[in-house]
Amino acid sequence: MGWLPWVSSDTPGGPKKTSDGAFEAPNKTNRAKCYEARDAFFECLDRHNILDSINTKGGQAAAKQACGIADQEFEKNCAHSWVEYFKKQRVVNYQKEQTIRRIEAQGGEIVAPQLPTRS
Amino acid sequence: MKAIKSSSLLRLELQGTRTSVRRTLSSHSPNTAVLSRTVASGSASHFRTLQSSSVPCRSPAGSLRKPFCQARSFSNSTARCKLRTIEQVKARNKGGPFNLAAALLFVATGGALYAYFTYEKQRMDRKRIAEETKGIGKPKVGGPFDLVDHDGNRFTSDDMHGKYALVYFGFTHCPDICPDELDKMAIMYDKVVERCGKVLLPLMITCDPARDTPEVLKEYLKEFHPEIIGLTGEYENIKQTCKAYRVYFSTPPNVKPGQDYLVDHSIYFYLMDPDGDFVEAIGRNFTAEQAAKLIGDHIKDWSGPLNKKDRWA
Repeated sequence: MGWLPWVSSDTPGGPKKTSDGAFEAPNKTNRAKCYEARDAFFECLDRHNILDSINTKGGQAAAKQACGIADQEFEKNCAHSWVEYFKKQRVVNYQKEQTIRRIEAQGGEIVAPQLPTRS
Repeated sequence: MKAIKSSSLLRLELQGTRTSVRRTLSSHSPNTAVLSRTVASGSASHFRTLQSSSVPCRSPAGSLRKPFCQARSFSNSTARCKLRTIEQVKARNKGGPFNLAAALLFVATGGALYAYFTYEKQRMDRKRIAEETKGIGKPKVGGPFDLVDHDGNRFTSDDMHGKYALVYFGFTHCPDICPDELDKMAIMYDKVVERCGKVLLPLMITCDPARDTPEVLKEYLKEFHPEIIGLTGEYENIKQTCKAYRVYFSTPPNVKPGQDYLVDHSIYFYLMDPDGDFVEAIGRNFTAEQAAKLIGDHIKDWSGPLNKKDRWA
């Protein structure tokens, strides 16, 4: 578990809580920790060939079984809303990639929508 | 004034010399009557002078002509009924319809019309330019707001005037996009300052006023750039500001304390000119370098009341 040095420490990292129990706005360090935990979790999912760890019951169960520890670390280091966000984003990003690939395979061109700019 | 006095003297003279010749001068009198009425109504003092100096008209033709002559008490020229000889008529109409009053009236009207049209033309030009650069083909973005900065001081849209402003909407609990964009904003700001001086005001307006108090914002933003000003406020004020900037945001109005949620919002940088008008939106497709160049170019274009003392310092 060398990739999460704060895991073994008594004061766990991740977002602190305010007096009313809400997560404090994370600072740079917290964010970095969160991203690290997220990447570790996603790497684990990739290894086990799991895409969706949130939207379906099967996916949730599979992720828990295969990457339970990484998931716990993820939850510990990020606000719950962030965890949900990142897990959903993973699916969306994958679908986006697939769509782009499909369109490109068909010979289409991807043009990102742009605001009219001055020329 | 001289002209009026001399004409009343003339009238007295005419009254003194009684002759029986009468002519109708219908082709001349309407002009002079209209003119003299206009002059008389021009100023009150003028009018008083005319009345006091005019002599009651006595018509030799008796009661039949009386109403017509009396109705002419406004006039400063001799009443038609006073003219007894062809010489008198000639004297009266010597200058034709042209006299000093007519000339003054002509010049005054002409001057007034010229001034009016000049003003109107300039106004239309200003309007056209304003609309060209600020309205047509571009969304009307921005507007007045009344918020609180990260030091707890009031910050309104008026505080943006005199400098370019780079406005970003975000919130401190934002997972990944806002921190990236704020990092970009810091680079953009430094590059613009390097090129143009301190003429850019980097603003970050929170979409999440319930959690983003001034203290939270201050703590959050100092990690990105000490110059970035964080703005928060009442929910309604934030909502109104977001609406003015056409920012979509989905913050619920009543959040329970301790609730964990995210806010969806638009992620553009809005460049506003020193008049507070929208110039351009900078999206995520711009790198910090591209955006800094774009902003710098806009600043170089501007010749308005930019805070020049800071500019080339």
